[in-house]
Amino acid sequence: MVPAIALGAREVTKSFPGVRALAGVTFAVAPGRVHALLGENGAGKSTLIKILTGDQTPDSGTVVVADEEVSFGSPRDALARGVTPVYQELTVLPEMTVLDNVMMGHESARRGVLRLREQREHARRALERVDLGGLDLGTIAGDLSLANQQLIEIARALVRRSNVLILDEPSAVLSGDKLEALHSVVRSIAAEGTAVVYITHLLDEVRLLADDVTVLRDGTLVSTGPAVDYPMERIVREMVGRQVDSVFPDPAPPRDEVVLTVSDLVPRGAEVAPVSLELRAGEIVGLAGLVGSGRSRLLKTLAGVRGRGEGTVAVEGRPLRPSLGATIDAGVVLVPEERKRDGLVLDLPVSQNCTLTALRSISTAGWVDGGREKAAFAEERERLGIRAAGGDQLARQLSGGNQQKIVIAKWLRVSPRVLLLDEPTRGVDVGAKSEIYRIITELAANGMAILLASSELPEVIGLSHRVLVFKDGAVVGDIPRNPDAAEQIMHLALGTES
Amino acid sequence: MTATTPAPAVAPTRPRPNWVAVAVRRGAAVWVIVAALVLVLSVLRGGSFWSTGNLAALLTSAVVLGLVSLGQHTVILSGGIDLSVGAMVTITTLLTAVLIDGYPIRTAPVLIGMLVLGALIGALNGVLITLLGMPPFIVTLGMLYLVNGAALWISSTPAGRVTSILSEFAFGRIGPIPYTFLVLVLAVVAMWFLLNRTVWGKQVFAVGGDLHSARAAGIDTTRVLLGVYIASGLLAAIAGILLASRSSVGSPTAGAGLELSAITVVVIGGTSLLGGRGTLLGTMGGVALLSLITNSITLLQFPSTITDLIRGIIIIAAVAIFVAKRR
Repeated sequence: MVPAIALGAREVTKSFPGVRALAGVTFAVAPGRVHALLGENGAGKSTLIKILTGDQTPDSGTVVVADEEVSFGSPRDALARGVTPVYQELTVLPEMTVLDNVMMGHESARRGVLRLREQREHARRALERVDLGGLDLGTIAGDLSLANQQLIEIARALVRRSNVLILDEPSAVLSGDKLEALHSVVRSIAAEGTAVVYITHLLDEVRLLADDVTVLRDGTLVSTGPAVDYPMERIVREMVGRQVDSVFPDPAPPRDEVVLTVSDLVPRGAEVAPVSLELRAGEIVGLAGLVGSGRSRLLKTLAGVRGRGEGTVAVEGRPLRPSLGATIDAGVVLVPEERKRDGLVLDLPVSQNCTLTALRSISTAGWVDGGREKAAFAEERERLGIRAAGGDQLARQLSGGNQQKIVIAKWLRVSPRVLLLDEPTRGVDVGAKSEIYRIITELAANGMAILLASSELPEVIGLSHRVLVFKDGAVVGDIPRNPDAAEQIMHLALGTES
Repeated sequence: MTATTPAPAVAPTRPRPNWVAVAVRRGAAVWVIVAALVLVLSVLRGGSFWSTGNLAALLTSAVVLGLVSLGQHTVILSGGIDLSVGAMVTITTLLTAVLIDGYPIRTAPVLIGMLVLGALIGALNGVLITLLGMPPFIVTLGMLYLVNGAALWISSTPAGRVTSILSEFAFGRIGPIPYTFLVLVLAVVAMWFLLNRTVWGKQVFAVGGDLHSARAAGIDTTRVLLGVYIASGLLAAIAGILLASRSSVGSPTAGAGLELSAITVVVIGGTSLLGGRGTLLGTMGGVALLSLITNSITLLQFPSTITDLIRGIIIIAAVAIFVAKRR
């Protein structure tokens, strides 16, 4: 008997420290249908997928497979029930051959001994379905292009006889023929009766592939229904929502003096159109765009973390050498996206994290003065409203919001003129978010120039004097402050100009 | 709905790797150094190097290290490390001699007992690492001291005696090839088969390549890792039995330092200490190289005290070449 629901979630809730990722989401995929799961970054799609595939357990609510409520302890359990995920992060092992990668976890064998011919046949058949029939099975996977690795990942899922196939942004690294190969395989497996959950940022794919659509926003279900009821405008509107409200303090007008001048900048190793921009004192410029559109790359290049391919950068008219040290000395600093990896030494006390960038200012002849360290931390604690038990508390123990304030404080110690913020409120709860908004606005009012990249559109729109929209590494729009610009920006970022 | 379209030939665009990188990846690089050393010895001491006696001694010296390295190789492939292999050799050597104590009737049961003991210690390592989530380095370091301590507690001086059948086996040979070397060859073939022709073997590579990816692919990583550490313990026990047979008594320091030698040969064989990449060919090349170095120091009448110095230079030089030439 064909079940009504191949895979579903009932009232699923999941929280992480400081963030509610999913709040009572109900979701169902029918056999033989392609179901597009849509939402902005951080809307909860990936968390939902991880719960549906047994990688994480929900705080409450249940997962449904073939009309039965189940509880998965591990991805193995989900695979055993015929639920096969292809995660967004590639899990192809670069040191292993194409054959071993495709057959990984589902080897053909008798009593543990591999049946080589059968292995090769199965792998070959799966590869043919993703249009990689000509690939040598002995090729080391790490030597393949990213697109081919993604297709191998999908071939691995095809080897298993699945009832549900979950594809988390499979098209992110594909284009042209590769994308068509993916689409044709998705259509054919759906025709065979497999339910497909398809996550994508390319809204064209929804039109081409999807039978049903579900939109998530901020961890809640917005709506769900057949794809014919979802014209592009509705999807964008529901993904973005209308929530640009009073959380955002009005920014003071920027000054006339230009602080940062970027001319024809191309990050090293990137093949993108050059970027030019000017940033004035007291100005907040937002960078909007999809993940992978080049916002972070631009910020990293400006901060001297990543090399420059071409172009020049000048601070107050003086050209800047492309090195991290020179950039910091010139007063250009980056609050990085990966806070825990790039922003903090998690096992050092907060006071030491806070003064890490300006050790010279608190030391004499190489000896750190404990008193001055404490005083420096006390000053930032006051200024940014950091809630820590004391200067001795480890950075690891703070909430996301307070950790982020420490990272900002750390860079304020060097008295920067340009502050680059990459996803400043990721993993930060709502209360701390508005405090960080207040800090950003105040810093700008005091004359600091700020470049702000964020996946959360309301934030970019609410804080910035103007918004630059990125697509494929290039600036495709420069939009002055306008609370209703969300849909216009989304269309520019997606390339679906209406 | 559309069926799959006929597949046009896919030309994977990849830079042709240079031959050194390929040699390193396949584990052949170290054999080039081995061949060079053999050439040098043939020129300088041709007569004595190629004598049946010297070849037999050379091959014999490779057996214990080879067996232990086989286990270490597998553990390192899986992304772990086993520091307790030397201690496992010690305790099985000592117990073989002490428990047999010259009584032929005890030979078979004791040998079986030793294999079980090795497997049990390995299983204990595996359980602590997988079920309790402790780091392999710490678990096996603790096991090293624990097992060495137990050995010293059993006897602080060489003790026991093996039966003549064991010593005859240990010293018997066909031409220049000792019987014990055939045990090593058998073990290498078996391990090659396990690693390259069984599901477990493929999963060892996957687990070592990326534990999370392996888990996401539905691999029972606990089972795979348990197997890895049990194999290491079993191989150490076989090495211990052969070592006892050769020395006829059991020494409480028999396997001292073997864990480091085993890691050395695995690394100079081109296996990544991060796991997921390595070939038996390389590791066995490492065993050959280390045995040859010791042998050549004797043949060239260098003072034996410089062995470690040369070993240190070789490790750093070999790894420097590999690191520089990989990609």
